[in-house]
Amino acid sequence: MSHPLPQIMLNELDYSYPNGTVALRKINLNIYRGELVGIMGMNGAGKTTLIRTLNGLIRPSNGTVNIEAENIEPKSIGELSKKVGLIFQNPQHQIFSNTVAEEIEFSLKSLNLDKEKVRNKTIEVLKTFNLEKYRERSPLNLSGGESKKLAIASTICRDPEILVFDEPTLGQDAKEISFFTNLLKEERENGKTIIIVTHNIEFAMEYIPRTILMAKGKIIADGITKKVLTNQYLVKKSSLVLPQTRKFALKLKEIGIKCPDNIFSKVEMKNFLANYLKTKLTEV
Amino acid sequence: MSLEFLQAFKFQKKNSFIHNLDPRAKLLFSIVYSISGLLFTELVPLLVLFLTLIPLIFLGKMFKEWMRSIRGLSSLILIIIVLNTYFLSLAYAISMIIRILIMITAFSIFFLTVHPNDLALSLISMKIPYEYAFSFSLAFRFVPTIAIEAQNIMDAQQSRGYEMKQTGLINQIKNLFPLLVPLIVSSIKRAFNVAEALESRAFGTIKNRTYYYSIKYSVKDWMFTIYLFLILIISIYIRIQFLLMPEWMLWTLPV
Repeated sequence: MSHPLPQIMLNELDYSYPNGTVALRKINLNIYRGELVGIMGMNGAGKTTLIRTLNGLIRPSNGTVNIEAENIEPKSIGELSKKVGLIFQNPQHQIFSNTVAEEIEFSLKSLNLDKEKVRNKTIEVLKTFNLEKYRERSPLNLSGGESKKLAIASTICRDPEILVFDEPTLGQDAKEISFFTNLLKEERENGKTIIIVTHNIEFAMEYIPRTILMAKGKIIADGITKKVLTNQYLVKKSSLVLPQTRKFALKLKEIGIKCPDNIFSKVEMKNFLANYLKTKLTEV
Repeated sequence: MSLEFLQAFKFQKKNSFIHNLDPRAKLLFSIVYSISGLLFTELVPLLVLFLTLIPLIFLGKMFKEWMRSIRGLSSLILIIIVLNTYFLSLAYAISMIIRILIMITAFSIFFLTVHPNDLALSLISMKIPYEYAFSFSLAFRFVPTIAIEAQNIMDAQQSRGYEMKQTGLINQIKNLFPLLVPLIVSSIKRAFNVAEALESRAFGTIKNRTYYYSIKYSVKDWMFTIYLFLILIISIYIRIQFLLMPEWMLWTLPV
């Protein structure tokens, strides 16, 4: 994080919905280029509203959104979508073309590329996402996981510098989640900034280095995921549950096994237990 | 595209004279006002009819929602003005605006104050089979849900570079596809899900069902009905005898 200026700067954001619900209160947030940030919190905490301000779908009632040191207020959603790719929870909300390939092409059209480039890019993206075999098939017949992949592909093909995912792991099986985590790794290597809204605490613990915790439209914590999500007070305040390894560690303490507080991941827990058993066995 | 005006047709629980009326009386109200509105193309009777609606809006404590429906339909109103002025005259256009305002208001008051369940009950009391009455009320129940879904679809498409601005009629129609296809597909899927959920809760297994709530035509409903019939009879009388009416009623705008 050697960049002096944050890529995303939210300054004193306020937003209320037309029906009077206050969704964001005085949000201040800096996100640097190349970061992978998780946004967590209970339903209605303002997570989705917050990410919608990043590409102008929601214009804050107060405060400013700066992306790459530019205030986005005068910019259209179309312009902003070239920089910020927002991927929604429900892929069915965007699928409409006759074929999977056309679905990708639709996203590329607004970039004013020539036909050849659009075709090549489509082929490349379908290959990356293992969707080649469905190329000429109707996207409406894809399975849940595959249509989610297609939705992600149709945004990533536009090559935005900031990727924002709303609940990407929801309803995904283990194989699909592992595909997604590989994708995250690749995109980070390409220098992309990634923001993920999720309820999946295990996923966050394992893959997301920085977590922002929200409650009632405010940011109540912002820091290293392992610290934020193992803080019992914060976790309770945002109606989350502690990660399994933490719950397990607490249970171990209850029965008198001294489990250190810095165990967060499943691997660390496995190693600790293996060592513990080894020493116990040698004692016997 | 603002779908905000759909809010103006969504039931809101309040305690007011209009809310407490029997749904059948309110259905009659919407029908009577629509017929009366359609009887006239002249400014004065339409205006008088419209003015009789204003107190009802305040009696139902729904001025804000009503304003929202009018604002939401302002583009439709604009089209009516332009077309009527172009082909006929501005005076006629203004009459037509008042006519459409009467109809929007009448139906807006109905949908704002009648709970979908009461709507079903009133249809059943008119001997409409339960399955149809239920589907009808279910359809209204889903209007706001579909409005939210339409907004989400629009957001999702805009997030990948879709832009509404297109010139030319064919382009504009083509431009609706990315919005309409997902909306129709997800609505059909939802319909199947709802049907399955209903069947798994034994919908339609018993022929003679009983109802938890009942509706009753009370004195104030009868009084309101008499008022509505008076409006209808007077409107029809004026229409038939229109040329015999006093001069002020025949007055038209000089444009």
